[in-house]
Amino acid sequence: MGQRLTGAEILLESLIAEGVDTVFGYPGGSIITVYDKMYHYTDRLRHILVRHEQGAIHAAQGYARATSRPGVVIVTSGPGATNVITGVADAMVDSTPVIVIAGQVGNAMLGTDAFQETDVVGMTGPIDKWTFQIRRPEDVAPAVAKAFHIASTGRPGPVVLDFTRDAQVGLADFEYHPCTHIRSYALPAPADEEAIEAAAKLIDEAERPFVVYGQGVVLSHAEEQLKAFLKKGGIPAASTMLGLSALPSDFPYYVGMAGMHGNVASNMMTQQCDVLIAVGMRFSDRVTGNPTTYAPKAKVIHIDVDRTEIGKIIPVEVGILGDAAEVLERLTARIRFSFHDEWAALARRYDRVEAEKVTAPETKPSDGPVNMGEVVSTVAELSERKAIIVTDVGQNQLMGARYSRFAQTRSFISSGGLGTMGFGLPAAIGAKTGAPDRQVCVFLGDGGIQMTIQEFGTIMQEHTAVKIILLNNNWLGNVRQWQELFYDKRYSQTQMLNPDYSLIAQAYGIRYRRVEQRSELEEAVREMLDAKEAFLLDVHVREEGMVYPMVPGGRRMDEILLNKDEWFVDGE
Amino acid sequence: MYIISVYSENQVGLLSSISNIFTRRGINIESLTVFPSEFPGIHHFTFRAITTERAAQQVVGFIEKKVEVVRAFCFPDNATSAAEHGILEEYLKNRNQ
Repeated sequence: MGQRLTGAEILLESLIAEGVDTVFGYPGGSIITVYDKMYHYTDRLRHILVRHEQGAIHAAQGYARATSRPGVVIVTSGPGATNVITGVADAMVDSTPVIVIAGQVGNAMLGTDAFQETDVVGMTGPIDKWTFQIRRPEDVAPAVAKAFHIASTGRPGPVVLDFTRDAQVGLADFEYHPCTHIRSYALPAPADEEAIEAAAKLIDEAERPFVVYGQGVVLSHAEEQLKAFLKKGGIPAASTMLGLSALPSDFPYYVGMAGMHGNVASNMMTQQCDVLIAVGMRFSDRVTGNPTTYAPKAKVIHIDVDRTEIGKIIPVEVGILGDAAEVLERLTARIRFSFHDEWAALARRYDRVEAEKVTAPETKPSDGPVNMGEVVSTVAELSERKAIIVTDVGQNQLMGARYSRFAQTRSFISSGGLGTMGFGLPAAIGAKTGAPDRQVCVFLGDGGIQMTIQEFGTIMQEHTAVKIILLNNNWLGNVRQWQELFYDKRYSQTQMLNPDYSLIAQAYGIRYRRVEQRSELEEAVREMLDAKEAFLLDVHVREEGMVYPMVPGGRRMDEILLNKDEWFVDGE
Repeated sequence: MYIISVYSENQVGLLSSISNIFTRRGINIESLTVFPSEFPGIHHFTFRAITTERAAQQVVGFIEKKVEVVRAFCFPDNATSAAEHGILEEYLKNRNQ
């Protein structure tokens, strides 16, 4: 028999037993018992006090994405719980393992509209991987064990524990047993041999095979297996936005990012390939454009750990249900050594067009205001591709994704599926907390930074040395871009009157530098990267900046706008 | 009309979470029954809904993703299946170690 402890202590002991050393949270009435017990755990459990519960969950997401360990969030009931909802939905669609512990009123008060009572189970059930209401202290340890098992296995995702006051204050015997088996929850089984066989045959027969991989490669630690597969098959590969950094940017078979603002080569080759091998990705509409015209010549092989993803959007020739690392390893053993040099060389032809028409004018302009892409590529170059790049959502995200360069995996953190503005700043705090030895740079717009700008307080209190690059154009730039292109320049509610960020930075004790001229950029980026503490680099960029190339929504992936007036033409 | 047959652990909140999978896709549930199955601790839900086979299969996939759901099946119209009981029996035998 174990020690007799309160449910609140059992929670903390269970977290420690799971190897947790950092939690992100915010106290309140219905979780005060846990915070009271935490007072005695400060040597074993670091608590990062955020300024808003949304900040806690995005920080936990950033932490999880940087470290591969689940991020843990502790908040109170009612508004504490509802404030994390956006992050729960975000973590679900982006397969991020986070565990939210939300306080809840006492059992007798459930369903009475008690102060700060809300239906957490009902609200989070549709948007998380698992929700459980803990009503008894003896259920705390098993619930935490199940939460970690569920959040981090299979396709990872968020789990919410609705922790009633009775369960927090009541006493129970504590003994911790990690969870390895849930009757109704099967872990990924080895992939079907016949499916592997069929896929290998298709790949061997292909003349123009092409891989599009997603974050599944990162989540399953399949980076090396992917490299081996591409090398043996001689197969060019594109990444989704969340797959970025799984392959180094200079990997010989890597042709760039796929999707709406992806690289020309990626999208053109998708439309021409005869076999498309999709690895750990979900054919988001941002990747497929009009799905009925996507990869029209290809037989599709889809490898995913989530059965519901296979065939959900794009019909498949062969679906392989399984873990990416295991499947790629077995597939590599089965396929023949192949070369597709002529096919792979197409990428270079498309790259030349993109470099001339898009990349050069964006990153190496000779005059005019500073461009967003220019800032990103300067950071990429001067950080020697070693930084973890975090982005908010919008043009800053697309530029961050397009012009960052990566040397190691788990180096790109962004809100992909949900597209949550306000994600960037707290996610960067979480990433830096989890990976303190790495440089963490976050690109934000002047819209997104203000959605969670209160987290400057967290940076101040925790001395989190994140490098914040504000691409400041006084517009909600991505919406402005759509208004310019598709809404006859009716700039409805997208222009922003911004505060003086130098004063905000000063108020929080954050180092600050403003850049308005191109001539200052390089030196300012250097100063920021060299700083030992947090730094806000406020770059005043071109107001009418646009992100190209662009496949307008619902189009074919080879209908690519290179700039306002020019569509890409596939000439010889 | 399709019958979607779900076997799950008895878990508070699961019914609303499963019915959400229908409503999110704009599928009306025409009828619903919940009762204990012949397997100890396992509840049996049956939903009847007007939808396409593809949508019914997708719904089944998403229902099976719920941690407490043991297995889900779908059948056209009101065909019943003895096979599902066999499949489930086999599954539980394996999962119970």
